Amino acid sequence: MSPAPILQLQGATRRLAGRTIVDGVTFSLDRGCVLGLLGVNGAGKSTTLRMIAGLLAPSAGRVLFDGRELAEEPALARRLGYLPETPPLYAELRVDEYLAFCARLRGMRAADARRAVDHVIERCGLTEVRRRLCGNLSKGFAQRVGIAQAIVHDPDLIVLDEPASGLDPVQAASIRKLVSELGRDRAVILSTHLLHDVTACCARVAILHAGRLRHDGALAELTGAQGADLETLFFRIASADDAQAAA
Amino acid sequence: MSRVIARNEWQRLFAQPLAWTLLAATLAVLAYFFLLTLQGFLGLMPKLAGMPSPPGVTDLVALPLARAIASIALIVAPLLGMRAIAGERQSGTLTLLQTSGTSAAGIVFGKFVALCGFFVVLIVLALAMPASLAIGTHLDWGRIATGALGLILFAAALSAIAIAASSFTRHAVVAAIVALSINLVLWMLDAGARHEGVSSSFINYLALPTHLEPFLGGIVASVDVVYFVLIVVVALTVAARRLDTERERG
Repeated sequence: MSPAPILQLQGATRRLAGRTIVDGVTFSLDRGCVLGLLGVNGAGKSTTLRMIAGLLAPSAGRVLFDGRELAEEPALARRLGYLPETPPLYAELRVDEYLAFCARLRGMRAADARRAVDHVIERCGLTEVRRRLCGNLSKGFAQRVGIAQAIVHDPDLIVLDEPASGLDPVQAASIRKLVSELGRDRAVILSTHLLHDVTACCARVAILHAGRLRHDGALAELTGAQGADLETLFFRIASADDAQAAA
Repeated sequence: MSRVIARNEWQRLFAQPLAWTLLAATLAVLAYFFLLTLQGFLGLMPKLAGMPSPPGVTDLVALPLARAIASIALIVAPLLGMRAIAGERQSGTLTLLQTSGTSAAGIVFGKFVALCGFFVVLIVLALAMPASLAIGTHLDWGRIATGALGLILFAAALSAIAIAASSFTRHAVVAAIVALSINLVLWMLDAGARHEGVSSSFINYLALPTHLEPFLGGIVASVDVVYFVLIVVVALTVAARRLDTERERG
């Protein structure tokens, strides 16, 4: 294991069309940790994750993956799995074909890819739909195939953008369980606006509001000594600016 | 990784009705055209017999068919390539390719190879029609071979243009219209010059037919090969650059 944390954001800033979406976000993440990125809609969660995945270059600051910049070493991206807000599925491919393509795309050999696909299909509970077309899947299965796509090549860092959005409570619970399992030996970062997602599967929580990082700490210390639980903190941060704006 | 992307593109192309429909419609039109020219040739036969060195079936049937393939490719390439990148952007799957560690050039080249593969199939199937005449007559195989090579290079250039157009938008139809416009401009660019009798100026060099005709005449000149390769390189570079700047533009 290398000494550098798997993911480091150093003052990462992103401006789009003259507006600052993400403003000087700094944090780092190690293997074996699930970080929940919590924020209201429009807080800059997706933009932050897109920077981490290498889809957006930071306007200022740096995003380091294993101590190096993704833009300089594109091959590093193979050690990263990313689930965007809408799962990037090819409607005309079968689930197993699609996952095999994803594995091969990240440089796996054909035989390894086949094994990895079988493994991930079992792990994500996709056995019954493995021969169905991606375009005919229900929202819950599509989301699960999206997660399978992000983990099929056994990445070190998994970036999930609202993995449980639009799912029913039972599906959401199974995804949360999967995420906690993944976080045992890998670094996982997930964004959400649901407090329950965080309490159910994250060891650490970061709260993003209006593009700034307003809180970063272990979930345990939040509910423990300070007495203030996550919900109170989140509402205080999310409503502070409204109060300021009103004043 | 271009190979994996090309295979995926090819697999998806033929998992959808678009490629099959285009292939079937194009071959149907070409078959009709082939039968018409063949009938015309048979009608001319008595007259040809009186000529000292008459044009053969290769000149009067195979080459007109090759020109028809070229004209149809002007429309087929934009339709086939319009979704190559625009469609992926629209459906959100472009992020999958972009976060896979594959370079923009690799993505673009993979798609290009898949489109070229489609045209190789189309051209081989279409030229099988005149080739079938070999049962009953003598064909000039050399010219059919150079004609096929010319058509493949021509189609490769059109595929690259379609991909470049596709890389600038998320709407496939817009990409198709832009690519078709570029194709038609390159096709007719020197029509005015030729009308005035100018046939060796720079504007003639830029036009597509100037470089396709020698192949159909049985001449493989490096200047023509270079022209098509140049179009491919420029168009694919533009497409790759466009994908690269996406990280900055957002």
